[in-house]
Amino acid sequence: MAPPRLAKKRKDVAESDESDDGLAGTALEGVLSDDEDNDSGSESDPNSEDFNDPDDDDIGKDFDATSVSSADDDESKPNYKVVKDANGNERYEYAEIDPVYDSDDSDANEKGNTIGNIPLSFYDSYPHIGYDINGKKIMRPATGDALDALLETIEIPKGWTGLTDPQTGKPLELTREQLELLRRLQTSQIPEENYDPYPDLIPYFTSIEEKMPLSSAPEPKRRFLPSKHEAKRIAKLVRAIKEGRILPYKPPEEREREKGEEEEVHYDIWANEEAQERHIMHIAAPKLAPPGYDLSYNPPPEYLPTQEEKEAWEKMDPEEREKEYLPAKFDALRKVPGYGEFVKERFERSLDLYLAPRVRKNRLNIDPNSLLPKLPSPEELKPFPTVCQAIFKGHEGRVRTVSFSPDGEWIASGGDDGTVRVWSLNGHQEWVARISTEEPVQVVRWRPNKDTFILAAVAGEDLFFAVPPLVSDALEKASRDVIDLGFGHATNGAVPMTADGAKKEPPAKWSRPGSKLEAAGVLLKATVRASIKTLSWHRRGDFLCTVSPTGQRSSVAIHTLSKHLSQIPFRRLPGLAQAAHFHPSRPYFFVATQRMIRCYDLQRQELVKILQPGARWISGFDVHPGGDNLIVGSYDRRLLWHDLDLSTRPYKTMRFHTEAVRAVRYHRALPLFADASDDGSLQIFHGKVVSDLMENATIVPVKMLKGHKIVSKLGVLDVDWHPRHPWCISAGADGTCRLWA
Amino acid sequence: MPRIKKKGQAGAAKNYVTRNQAIRKLQITLPDFRKLCIWKGIYPREPRSKKKVSKSSTNSTTFYYAKDIQYLLHEPLLQKFRDQKSLEKKISKALGRGDVTDAARLEGNAARPEKTGKPRYTLDHVIRERYPTFIDALRDLDDCLSMLFLFANLPSTSSVPAKMIARCERLTLEFQHYLIASHSLTKSFLSIKGIYYQANIKGEDVLWLVPYKFNQRIVGDVDFRIMGTFVEFYMTLLSFVNFKLYTSLGLKYPPKFDQLKDENAAELGAFTLEGLTLVNEEQQKQIEDHKPDPKVQAAVNKVLKQIDSKAANGDDADDTVEVEGEEGNDTIDKFEPAAPGGDVLPQPSNIGGSQGSLFSNCTFYLSRETPRQPLEFILKAFGCKRVGWDAVLGDGAFTTNELDPAITHQIVDRPPVQNAVEAETEGDDNQTSQKLGANRRVPGRVYLQPQWVWDSVNDGELKEPHLYAPGTSLPPHLSPFVKAMPGAYDPTMPLEDQEPEREALEAEDDDEEVTAEGMDIAEDDDAEDDDAENDDFEGVSEDEEEEADGSDDEDAERQRELEAELAGSSVKSKSISKKAKAKEDKLKALSKKSRDDAEELERAKGMLSKKKRKLYEQMIYTNTKKNAADEKLRAKRRRLEKEGKRAKA
Repeated sequence: MAPPRLAKKRKDVAESDESDDGLAGTALEGVLSDDEDNDSGSESDPNSEDFNDPDDDDIGKDFDATSVSSADDDESKPNYKVVKDANGNERYEYAEIDPVYDSDDSDANEKGNTIGNIPLSFYDSYPHIGYDINGKKIMRPATGDALDALLETIEIPKGWTGLTDPQTGKPLELTREQLELLRRLQTSQIPEENYDPYPDLIPYFTSIEEKMPLSSAPEPKRRFLPSKHEAKRIAKLVRAIKEGRILPYKPPEEREREKGEEEEVHYDIWANEEAQERHIMHIAAPKLAPPGYDLSYNPPPEYLPTQEEKEAWEKMDPEEREKEYLPAKFDALRKVPGYGEFVKERFERSLDLYLAPRVRKNRLNIDPNSLLPKLPSPEELKPFPTVCQAIFKGHEGRVRTVSFSPDGEWIASGGDDGTVRVWSLNGHQEWVARISTEEPVQVVRWRPNKDTFILAAVAGEDLFFAVPPLVSDALEKASRDVIDLGFGHATNGAVPMTADGAKKEPPAKWSRPGSKLEAAGVLLKATVRASIKTLSWHRRGDFLCTVSPTGQRSSVAIHTLSKHLSQIPFRRLPGLAQAAHFHPSRPYFFVATQRMIRCYDLQRQELVKILQPGARWISGFDVHPGGDNLIVGSYDRRLLWHDLDLSTRPYKTMRFHTEAVRAVRYHRALPLFADASDDGSLQIFHGKVVSDLMENATIVPVKMLKGHKIVSKLGVLDVDWHPRHPWCISAGADGTCRLWA
Repeated sequence: MPRIKKKGQAGAAKNYVTRNQAIRKLQITLPDFRKLCIWKGIYPREPRSKKKVSKSSTNSTTFYYAKDIQYLLHEPLLQKFRDQKSLEKKISKALGRGDVTDAARLEGNAARPEKTGKPRYTLDHVIRERYPTFIDALRDLDDCLSMLFLFANLPSTSSVPAKMIARCERLTLEFQHYLIASHSLTKSFLSIKGIYYQANIKGEDVLWLVPYKFNQRIVGDVDFRIMGTFVEFYMTLLSFVNFKLYTSLGLKYPPKFDQLKDENAAELGAFTLEGLTLVNEEQQKQIEDHKPDPKVQAAVNKVLKQIDSKAANGDDADDTVEVEGEEGNDTIDKFEPAAPGGDVLPQPSNIGGSQGSLFSNCTFYLSRETPRQPLEFILKAFGCKRVGWDAVLGDGAFTTNELDPAITHQIVDRPPVQNAVEAETEGDDNQTSQKLGANRRVPGRVYLQPQWVWDSVNDGELKEPHLYAPGTSLPPHLSPFVKAMPGAYDPTMPLEDQEPEREALEAEDDDEEVTAEGMDIAEDDDAEDDDAENDDFEGVSEDEEEEADGSDDEDAERQRELEAELAGSSVKSKSISKKAKAKEDKLKALSKKSRDDAEELERAKGMLSKKKRKLYEQMIYTNTKKNAADEKLRAKRRRLEKEGKRAKA
C-alpha cells in the first residue's frame, strides 16, 4: 500500500503548488476543475479517499520515479532558493521536504486539510480553506458564479448530490451504487442486496438415514407410556383455569378498561354487628363546636365587630386570634363570598385528628361558689369587736406595744418616744413615765395577777417594773411589797453564781432605777446583756421571760421577780430566738426561733416537741389559754394555727393580709383571736376550741378592722385583748392606739 | 428480699413508645405509618409524665400507646404496603439496568391509585374494626361528610385524582337522596363559612358543613396527600353507610345513575331511587302530567294578565291566611312544671312527620341568581315534591317555565328594580320568551328571599312571607345550634329580660344623663360612693351614714320646696330629681350589697387551701371572661336600640 499513498501525497503537493501560483485566476481554475470532474465523474472522484482507481495508481508511479531521482540530487545541491522578499531583503525558500522512507503511518491525513473538526464556514472570508500537512494554504476551489449555477441546474451532472465534501470543500458526488447502499443502510436493510439471511435449513443429519443404530439398548418403557409428570402439570393448569387464575390473553388496553368498569362491591358490613367495649384508653375524637350566632351570614347587629375591634383583629397574629373569622353581615345570600380558609380549616382538622395527642380532661362543671367553705354568718358568732370605740393619742412616733391591765380597767402603752403611758378606757391618759431617753419602749406587760398592779416595761437592755399610782393604797402597797421582796434574796442569788464560775458576770443586774423614776412609780430595774424584744409573764406572776434576739447565748432569759434572780435556760439555740411564752397550765416553755417553735419541759428539763409552721420568719406567737393550740404570725403574711395534739405542721393556714403579720393574740376568755399586720388592718377570727378530742377547732374569720394609717410601711404593731370583754386594743405606727369594741 | 426493680422496665415507660420507635418496629416508612394511623384511627397520647416515659436524652414530642402499635403489627395492610414497596424497588432496579420492557411489565402490575382512583387494597376490614356497630359509624360521620362535601367541590390534583372527586360527588349526592327520602334533615344554617346541615339519623345528630359553590382558595401549606388519605377512608365509610341507610329504607343501592343527566348538571336529578314503592312513581307521574300545552298556557296567561294589576296585594294576604291555617295543626303540648323541684326533662320536639312535610303543599321556583343545589336539597328534604328552576341552573327541574301556574312560591335573590314602566311595555314578548321583566310578578305566588326557607326549616313552621319579601331588609338569621344557657346572652329575647339589675339601672342612668342634666348625677354618685368606701375603712357603720345621707337630702328638698313656695313657682324639677334620687338609692344599695358580698367572699376565700383557691380563681376567670363578652354584646345592643329609637323619633 505504501507506494500509491506516497504518490498521492506528492500529487497533492503538486496540485497545491499549482494553485499557489495562480492566485489571481481562481475563477478560471474553478471552471477547469469542474471540467476535470466532468471528465472523471463517470468513473470516480480522483481526490476521494475511498475509491482509488487503478488509473490513479499508474499516474502515481510515474511521479514516484521522478521524485526519487530528484532526491538523489538534493545531497549535492542546497535545498533552498534565495529570493527577494517585499522589502528587497534576502529570503531563503526551502524546497519541499521529501520523506523518502516507506511510511506506514496510516493515521497521517493523506488529504491534507489540517484544520481539524471545525466548520468550513470559518474560512468564508478567506481565499483559502485550510492548511495542508506542510502548512501551505489550501486554496478554495473555485465556485461557480451565478451563470455557472444556472448552468448546473440545467444539466445536473451524474452523481451530483448538492452536498459539499467537508474535507475538501468541493462538491460531494456519489455514484448510484453508493446512494443505493446509503438507502439500504438508512432503512436498516442488509447492505448487500442479494444476501439471504434466512436460507433454507439443510437437514444434514435427519436427511441421511443411518444404517446402524447408535445404541444397542432396547427402547425404554417410558417411551410407550403417557408421562405422569406431564399429566400432573396439565392437571395443574386445568385447575388454574377452572379457578380463574389463568385467564385468556387480552391486550392491556382492554384489561385496563375492564378494570375501570368493575363495579364496587356493596354489602352490609354491619350485618351481624355486635357492640364492643372500647379500650379504656380510647378517647374518641372531639366533635367540632356547632356554629354560633356570630357565624351567621346575617347575624344580629350586636355581633358585628366595631371598627376598632376589626382593626385589632387584623393586627393580631393569626395564631393568637381568639376566632379565626370576623363576623360579617350580608344583606342578601347572593352577596356571600366563598370562605377563603375552608380548605385550610379542614386540613387543620384532619391534622388534629391524627396528630394531636388526646388527653381526657375532667372539666369541673360546677358553680365556683360551691368550692367556698360554708362559713357561719358573723352575726351568729357575735360578740366580737366591730368598730373603733376610742382613739388614744399622745405618743410621739410609733406606739410599739399595748397591754390591758388584768382587771381590764387600764391600758398601758409604750412607744418610740421612750415613755410608758397608762390610759383609762375612755381615752384619757392617766400616768406617764419616761423610762428611757434614746431607746424605744419595746414591750409593756401587766403582771397577770389581780392582787397586784405591776407593769413590766422594756427599753433597750433594761427591764423596768412600775406600780402606777392609780389604784387603791392597799393594792399599791401589795404591789410594792412584791417588787421589794427580792432585795433580800438578791445577794443570796448572786453568791452561788460567783462561786460557780469564779468571776462570772450574772445574766442580769437588779437595782433601783434612780430616785426620779422611783418618784414616778418605777421601782425596779434589771439590766440584761442584750436589748430585749419580747417579754412574757408566767400565769402566777412570779416568773417572766425575756427574749433578746441579738443576745446569742443569753438571748432567752427567765427572771424570778420574788428573788430578783435571772437565769439563762439554754446554752445554745438553733437560730435566732424570736419570742417565748410559758404554757398557761403546765410547766412547759415555748421558744420560737426564726422557723420553728420548740416546746421544753422545764421540770424535766427536756425538749418535748418541735413545731414547724412552715413560715420563713416567725414574727410572734401566742398560746391558747387551753394550752393545746397555738397561733403563729409570720413576716411572710401568714397566720398559722397549730394544734399541738395533731401534728407538727399547721392545722390551718390563713392568708388574708397583703403585708407581714406583726402580732397575734388570743382572747383569754372568749373564743376569739386577732392578728395585726403591716397593711394597717387587724383581723378578728372566731376560733372555737372544743375539749372533745375528736373534734377539731373551728376557725372562722369574722371581721377586718381597718383604721390605722400606714407610716413608712408599718401599720399595726401590737394588739391585746380585754381580759373579759370582746374588746381589743391595737397599737399603730401612726402614733395612736385604738380601742375596738 | 424482693427483686430490685429496674428503671424503665414497667409502668409508663413500657406503655408508651415514641413515633420513631413505632416506625422501626413496624418496619415501614413515615408516610406509610401516617396512612396507617389515619385509617386505623391511631393517635398520639400525652403521658402524664414525659420524663418517665422517654428513655432517650432528647425529649421526644409524640408518644403512641404501645398497645396501639402492637395492634397495628397485625394489620393486613402492612403486607400490602410492603408488597408495594418491593414492587417499586423492582421497577427502579429495572430502570437502573436500562431494562425498559421489564419496568413496563412491572409497572403494569403496580396499582397507581393517584391515576386510577382505585388502590389495590380495600379498607373494608378497617371500617368494621373501627366501627363495630352502625351507630358508631354514624357518630363519626361529621368529619367524613364535611370532608367529602368539600372534595366534591374541589378540582382534581395529582394526589386527588378526578375519579376520586367524581366518586365523592356521587356518594354525597346519594347521601342527600337518603336524607330526602327519609326526611331526616332537621336543621340548617347559612353561615359565612358555608351551609351547616344537621340530620338526625337513627337518633344520632350528624352535623356537617358544605362550602358555597365557589372555587376554593388553596393556601400553600395544605398537604393534599394527607387529605387524600382521609378521603380514601371516608369514601369507603360513606359507601357502606349509604348502603346500610338505603337498605334500611327498602331502597336499592346503588341508585340508578343517569350519565347524560349528570353531564347536564342535574346533580340530584341524575339519580333514580329504586325499590321504594309509591312515592317516586307518583312524583314521576306528576312530572309527566305537567307538560302544559301552549294553547292552555296562552289562555291562562291572558287571564292572569287581566287580574294582574288587581290582585297583586290580595293574593299575598290569602296566602298568609292559608299559612296560618296550617300553623294551627302542628302545635305541640308543652310540659311545664306545675310545682318547682322536679327534674327537667327534654321537651317533645317536632322532629318527625310534621317536620318532613313542611313544604309538601308548595311548588317552588328558583330564580337563576339563587343557589340551586342547597335550595333544591333542603326543599326536597322537607317534603317539597315540585321544585323548578331556570334552565340555566341545570337539568332535573320540575319545570323551567317561570309562568307555570302550579308554582306557589318563588325564591328570588335580587333587589327589585325601580323602572316598572319599562317592564309593562315588555309584557307582550314575555309570553313567547317565557321570561318576565325585571319587576314583573306573577300573581298567585309568593316571592321570597332564600333565607325564608332556612328560617322556616329551623323554626319548623312557614315563616311570615312579608318579612322575607324581595327588597326588604331581612331579620337576622340565627344559628339553630346554639343552646340557650341560663345567664348567657340570647339575641332572641328582649334586652330587659336578661340584663342584670345593676346594668339596667346604669343604662337608665345613662338615658337620664343624655336627656337631662348631663354628667352631674353620675359625678355626684361617684363621689358619694367614694365617701361610703372611706367610711367603711374607718369602721363607722354603713347604715348610719346612709341615714345621715338620707336626712341630708330630705332637708335639702324641704328647703327647695320652701324656696319654690316663696318664689311662687311650681315644684317641677323636684319630681325628676325624686325619680333620679330613687334610682340613685337603688344603685347605692346595689353597690353596698356587692361590696358586702365581696367582703364575704374574701373571708371565705382565705379559708381555702392553695389547690382549691387556684381552681376557684381559674373558674372565676373563665366566668368573668364569658360574662364580659355577654355584657359587651348587651351594651352594643342597647346602644343600637337607642340609636334606632332616636332615628325613629
